[in-house]
Amino acid sequence: MLNLLIYARAVHYAATIMAAGVAFFAVCIAEPAFRESSGDLLVTTLRRRFAWIGWISLALCLLSGASWFVLTAASMSGQALAQIYANDVLWTVLTQTDFGNDWLARSVLVCVLASTFVPLFSANGSASPWLKAAAVVLAAALVGSLAFAGHAIGAEGAEGIVHPIADVLHLVAAAAWVGALAPLALLLAATGRDAATLVVAQTATLRFSTLGVVSVATLLLSGIVNTWYLAGSLDALTGTDYGRLLLIKIALFFAMVGVAAVNRLRLTPRLAVDTDAAAEQSARRALCRNATIEAALGAAVIAIVAVLGTLPPGSHADHHAAEGSIPPDAAFQHIHGEDGMADVTIEPGHIGTANASIHLLNDDLDTLVARQLTLTLTAPAPGSKPVTRAAVVDADGTWHIKGIALTTAGNWTVAVDALLPSNKHLKLAAPIEIDPK
Amino acid sequence: MRLLIAVITAAVVMLAPAVADAHAHLDHASPPVGATVPTAPPDVTIWFTQKLEAAFSGVDVSGPSGVSVTAGKPQISGNTMKIGIKADGPGAYHVRWHAVSVDTHKTEGNFTFSVRGQ
Repeated sequence: MLNLLIYARAVHYAATIMAAGVAFFAVCIAEPAFRESSGDLLVTTLRRRFAWIGWISLALCLLSGASWFVLTAASMSGQALAQIYANDVLWTVLTQTDFGNDWLARSVLVCVLASTFVPLFSANGSASPWLKAAAVVLAAALVGSLAFAGHAIGAEGAEGIVHPIADVLHLVAAAAWVGALAPLALLLAATGRDAATLVVAQTATLRFSTLGVVSVATLLLSGIVNTWYLAGSLDALTGTDYGRLLLIKIALFFAMVGVAAVNRLRLTPRLAVDTDAAAEQSARRALCRNATIEAALGAAVIAIVAVLGTLPPGSHADHHAAEGSIPPDAAFQHIHGEDGMADVTIEPGHIGTANASIHLLNDDLDTLVARQLTLTLTAPAPGSKPVTRAAVVDADGTWHIKGIALTTAGNWTVAVDALLPSNKHLKLAAPIEIDPK
Repeated sequence: MRLLIAVITAAVVMLAPAVADAHAHLDHASPPVGATVPTAPPDVTIWFTQKLEAAFSGVDVSGPSGVSVTAGKPQISGNTMKIGIKADGPGAYHVRWHAVSVDTHKTEGNFTFSVRGQ
């Protein structure tokens, strides 16, 4: 089911970015460029192609959005796909959760945006300036509201306001850049037949160049704000699947920016100001090819985003790995304190001789270094004498005690006393259940 | 070189955010996790690291006798979950919670606190 969710997310991100991108491109780049054109046939053909991109993207957006919704409803409720239809789960998710409310609003946005597509992509370009502005706002809302379907929301205070805003800007900028590449490539490919249509390519490329710079700057700034809230996860870049995928994504992004820099610094000036017609045509062809390459790289980035959104970020993955590795016959207790926490594992967790391991963590779930550590165990029977043992630390920073005699079953008390490098004592205590056998 | 480092840092910074997700983990609780309190409290409150979806989150508390001591339905608002409990004498109380955060991710966990009974 997780695989299906990844596919649904990938298609939905791509379709939303394409739908919004083609609307941005038509209004901000293509229509102003078309005003310079004398070739009506070219303009009509391109409008028809943009319409195809827009309608197919919106249809895919609806279908993949519905799949994403159903799969998430099943995961939130913990029920099988077959059961969620019978148990009103879909209705509960739609009406009673933030995710459902966002999906409801986005469904309405798709329908309203679709109604602006009819005049926007009509063959004679009859859309009024107001309608064009409305299409841009609706497209931005459709792609920006993806931020409320997940990751950036849920925090309290300033983070709960700033993080979603930054994420909305991030998504809108991504759509304005990546989503506009396919229509740009189509336009560049169609404008090569004669010198008269080349002026359309020149105007469109110059305008796209500006849009691209604004988009990359917005991506950068919104990203810096976002990461401010996720600083802890940078350590885990190489050690987790999440981090490694992120590194691949960064490499792809660099490739995209590299291609975009060549376009802006070398090819765009050649297309725009060169007086040699052959040089202009070769610059146009190179720009068309590069836009296609960038779009392909962008598709790969979107696929990675679809996977990353389903993985826990690095810092959480570390912690889960620790809990996930608890042997089935072990007793485990997670003790939380003001200055840190401890994961205490006693194996086997029943009467007999056992080994204990203690992992100290700070609030960021990183290993907390201690100079020495003692573990005190007290049997449940009244008047039991506490037994204190010193632990030895291994290379991973986990503390171990071997050969602890567990004499009775029941709720023991486990106490950890760690001497921190600051000479402060971290003292934690909690009950831990020891089984009879 | 410094420019390159700045560019790489900026790129790392900008690409991390849109993809990271967060889960609702236990932040702290009242009575505190693992604490020993003199008398049984009227309710247990848990604070989480994320806001919760009330429709899919819940908590159960069992007393020293092993049976559920919860009274009424959990009250869930923002990032807190509160459940009334009936006193079940001194001993260990087990709290088992499950949470769905507003970013749709599911987590669950448990902890104990003890009542001394004097």
